[in-house]
Amino acid sequence: MNNVSIPKVILILFIVDYIESITAPILIQAFINIPLTFLVFSFVVYRANSNPGSIFAFFIGLYVDIISDSPIGLNAMLFCTMSHLINSYSNTFRLFSYFQICLFFSASSLFFIGFKNLFINIENFSYLELITSFIFNSFLLITLSISRFNFLRNISRR
Amino acid sequence: MSRVAPTRGSKTLSFLLISFSALLLYLDTTYKSFEGIKNTYKSFEISTSYVLKKLAIDPILYIYEISSYKAYLIKENKELRLALDESHLANFIISKDSNFFANDQLIEAFIIKNGLDDIFHLAKIKFFDTQLYFCCSQHRVFIEIFNKPSIEFIGSPVINSSGILGQIIHNNNFLEVLLLTDESHVIPVESENYFCNAEGNGTTGKIYCTYSTLLWPEEIKQGQKFFSSGMGGVYPRGLLIGTVGEIKKIDESIIRFEIDLITDPLQENILGVLENL
Repeated sequence: MNNVSIPKVILILFIVDYIESITAPILIQAFINIPLTFLVFSFVVYRANSNPGSIFAFFIGLYVDIISDSPIGLNAMLFCTMSHLINSYSNTFRLFSYFQICLFFSASSLFFIGFKNLFINIENFSYLELITSFIFNSFLLITLSISRFNFLRNISRR
Repeated sequence: MSRVAPTRGSKTLSFLLISFSALLLYLDTTYKSFEGIKNTYKSFEISTSYVLKKLAIDPILYIYEISSYKAYLIKENKELRLALDESHLANFIISKDSNFFANDQLIEAFIIKNGLDDIFHLAKIKFFDTQLYFCCSQHRVFIEIFNKPSIEFIGSPVINSSGILGQIIHNNNFLEVLLLTDESHVIPVESENYFCNAEGNGTTGKIYCTYSTLLWPEEIKQGQKFFSSGMGGVYPRGLLIGTVGEIKKIDESIIRFEIDLITDPLQENILGVLENL
């Protein structure tokens, strides 16, 4: 996958944030929290051919802060951290299986949810939500990676 | 294609940006420093969605409404026509041009039958808002006396061939009759040795009495006849008002029952006005 241009990233994140704003109130009733914007941003950084800069992550984070009505700096900080982590381990990821990478991103999303809840939802901080979200996100990412793998295999057979 | 591991410079930049983000976060959570930016974005979002809705969704809805409007109009037209027919039917009975029910002999027969020696004057219904009568609690009829004597009729009882309809309360161009069922009307009634003030509450054909079983222990029965008691000096005594309908127990000692009136103001358009007692 090539680098995604900045306007595309902005547009994709806007749409994803809108979808998240619709799905989140429904899923939270089952103690599930899927940080879609964070996962999509992580995926963009993960699949980039070259290391996206920290400034890119910072401004995208600020943008997400504004559109998602989060405290300014929260997503910027987490996006910078995630971007740095992915850049640091970009070559190491090649040694891991898809399953392990999925677990890594699930754990990252778990950290993201926990950290975000500390700032914006401390009164209702729930470990149950964290555990449920971790399991569900892992399952979701694994399912997506398997389906993608099968999809590519079917194409190569043709 | 492999990616280059972060250099010392990029690591430092990342650290600085993370620290700066933390500072922004601190400022926002503690001092709400960026509320202006957020509010600007929200107002932009609201105005954009409003404009988009106006430009994109509303025209589609408008087209849909136009397409369904014709069917709606046809349906509404049918309903209105039905309502108009019903209204015509109701108004025919009291129409000033209709003499179908005009029969002064019936009223005279009623007077003789009930032994009333009062002088009565024939009157004609000039206006009766039947819609108000059926829907609401204000039940009034406007009448005009044929021979127009120079007598004060305010307070005079108005009857038809079945019995008492109400009393005259105003005398302007026409005489305004307050019907028994009007919410502000009260008529003293009696049955055997029991007396009560029966009140209208806007229900057509019914007036209501409330009494305490501590004061009147005898049981009220459905179908029991009630007559005007003559108390109050407005209505003559002994005219049949109606029969007891539904009986309700309000609490341990209070009973409320309805009296089904024998008179119907829609029955005739020629009425009798008794001179004041």
